[in-house]
Amino acid sequence: MKEENNILKETVAEFCDKNLDEKKIESEGITHGITELLASQGFLGATIPGKYSGSELDNTSYEIILEEIAKNSPSVAMKIFILNSLYYPSVKGTSAETTLSDAASGKLNVAVDFINRANDIKENAGKLSGTLINVLGSDAEKIILFNENTSIISGPFGYSDRDFMGFRGIKFGDITLDNTATVLDSKNRKGEILEASYGPLSAIALGMISGALQKAIDYTSVRKAFGNYLKDFEPISFRLAQFRSTESVLRSALYGEADPYYVFNLAMESIVEIARYSVNAHGGYGYFQDFGVEKFYRDAIVMKSIFYGNQELRKLAEHVYSEKINFV
Amino acid sequence: MFEEYDEYRNKIREFALKEFTEEMAAEYDRKEEYPDELRKKSLSLGIIDMQNPAKVMIAIEELCRVDAGLGIAVTTPYFGSEVIMLFGNDRQKEILQDVYKGKYILGLAVTEPSGGSDVAGLKTTAMKQGNKYILNGSKMFITNGAIADYLVVLARTSEDPNPHHGLSTFLVNTKSKGFNANKLVDKLGVRATNTAELQFNNIELNEDDLIGEEGKGFYYIMMFFNISRIYVAAQSLGIAIGALDRIKSYIKENDIKDEDSMFRLSDVGTHIEATRQMTYNAASYLFEFKPKPELTSMAKAYGSETAVYAAESAMEMLGDKSLYEDVQRIFRNAKIMEIWEGTSEIEKLVIARYILKGE
Ligand SMILES: Cc1cc2nc3c(=O)[nH]c(=O)nc-3n(C[C@H](O)[C@H](O)[C@H](O)COP(=O)(O)OP(=O)(O)OC[C@H]3O[C@@H](n4cnc5c(N)ncnc54)[C@H](O)[C@@H]3O)c2cc1C
Repeated sequence: MKEENNILKETVAEFCDKNLDEKKIESEGITHGITELLASQGFLGATIPGKYSGSELDNTSYEIILEEIAKNSPSVAMKIFILNSLYYPSVKGTSAETTLSDAASGKLNVAVDFINRANDIKENAGKLSGTLINVLGSDAEKIILFNENTSIISGPFGYSDRDFMGFRGIKFGDITLDNTATVLDSKNRKGEILEASYGPLSAIALGMISGALQKAIDYTSVRKAFGNYLKDFEPISFRLAQFRSTESVLRSALYGEADPYYVFNLAMESIVEIARYSVNAHGGYGYFQDFGVEKFYRDAIVMKSIFYGNQELRKLAEHVYSEKINFV
Repeated sequence: MFEEYDEYRNKIREFALKEFTEEMAAEYDRKEEYPDELRKKSLSLGIIDMQNPAKVMIAIEELCRVDAGLGIAVTTPYFGSEVIMLFGNDRQKEILQDVYKGKYILGLAVTEPSGGSDVAGLKTTAMKQGNKYILNGSKMFITNGAIADYLVVLARTSEDPNPHHGLSTFLVNTKSKGFNANKLVDKLGVRATNTAELQFNNIELNEDDLIGEEGKGFYYIMMFFNISRIYVAAQSLGIAIGALDRIKSYIKENDIKDEDSMFRLSDVGTHIEATRQMTYNAASYLFEFKPKPELTSMAKAYGSETAVYAAESAMEMLGDKSLYEDVQRIFRNAKIMEIWEGTSEIEKLVIARYILKGE
């Protein structure tokens, strides 16, 4: 890694240590204060163009930020990802592009919806009504709707929190469209946007892998059972060492020359297992939020459930065969 | 195996489907509270029959299939009862009858802040002074800890050079002076169950609070685990079948036909069938009073992995749909199976020991 990237990595890590209290974020959400701090550091608008007060960083720098933040708070990393990798490309070249200034400065909350279908929403003279269930991101002024089309919807919305298992910092909630919301733009961009997200998503996954694993390594270095440190038991330290190898190879691949398809595949295929085992290594303590490790397991499966399914595997296979495949 | 209980099984399933509504399961999961009304209702309807372990096993499976949080909450007030049933004195057995009737809630406290896997390494003491035992120490992650009326507690009664020899079990009234319970919150799953950290501060115990013989506590608890691990395997089986139920309906409702999904479905189904066979097989030895700890540990370890595998598969296969369905609750509940009543690693140590001992 280049010197300037190392400096960035250290700066972000220091920022996280100082400002991100992950337990608080899990229970209270990402406060306005944190959002403002992220904006003032230039993390919030990492890739957004300078003319909209963004930092206009290159991919590597952006991914370093995501990785470092995800080690501590996957929720905060996901918030940055939504703005930079989903919102920015969705509004680019549309009339909504000017809202990027608000996005980069922390004045705009964006939610993402992958679940609801176009027919969940009714349009009447340009105004929308209906309910969107379990939208990722709370108190939003804008929603990106990834269904048949990629639509940007502008509020105001009604909002109610849901109990949700993953990315608690940004919350999932139901949004009601009450004949006030409007569609700002609608194009079919889902495929291209998600494909361009493989790198950033892998960076978040890598951060989560790293965060969970470090907790397990730290814990098994100090906790004793049967008079020995947990690390003294081969099944524990062998497994954690093996996961560290995966983490290390993944990092080299992400910041090196590897094909993003393969990096993303490796990240998604390892994240749940590593997070799960990190919980395991903590015994009963791992099952409680207080130890800060179970959240990685929750967030890992949610990430995999949202971003990595049959469609992504089909794309990967077609990428390998370099042709369209007629799957049976 | 156990087909003779099919009618009973159907009755339990009906109860669970009627009473464990999605609203109720979600509510207790969110509030992280114990559903005491449901416990009382299950008793009044004869859902739990602690006199018949086969029925207990089947009830656990069927209840957890619908919702493990509520299912375990309903079946856990009797946790530890087998220790009293097998080794307790008349007074303790009278208390046990009241537990069965629903008057009291019971729990079992072995794990301590400094360790749960190494049972013989525990630090809580109950040293004899005159005709009393004085209980001191703390326990961790005790199910029912803050709602129980009585607890079966494992404590050290002598500094025997063999750590397994100096332990004894006691029946402790939670109203005793010096008892303190602190409810632990923010669990990943099984949030309708109560979990607590306990402190024992010079609690005076009478001689008739001792369960069985002094110095035999470790062996009583290991014997108890032979039974309770079957029940955990049944919890796991129920959770896994519940996950499979969700996968099946998702596949059918969405007319999914791709082979990747079919293969995953078939893998989950195969794991479940293996878990069922292993659990029922280990149970049939146990219920004939010929327990085979290695078979029990195999069922518990393999079953818990199956629960986790099935739950993760449901999350992944339903994709974004899993997020607002009860599937995410199944996922959070499943993980405890690999932790309580002996982690998978501890089960593997038991299994290896028995394999080496065998012919
Ligand atoms: C919700 C909940 C409810 C519970 N209810 C009860 C209850 O009612 N009563 C009760 O007594 N306990 C209860 N427990 C405690 C549970 O049984 C323990 O958490 C469990 O036995 C593990 O002990 P520990 O947490 O101290 O982990 P540790 O013993 O510290 O183990 C940590 C990790 O090291 C591994 N490990 C330990 N030794 C070895 C070894 N030799 N080789 C390889 N790996 C090893 C373990 O498998 C685990 O992964 C509960 C726990 C939870 C979370």
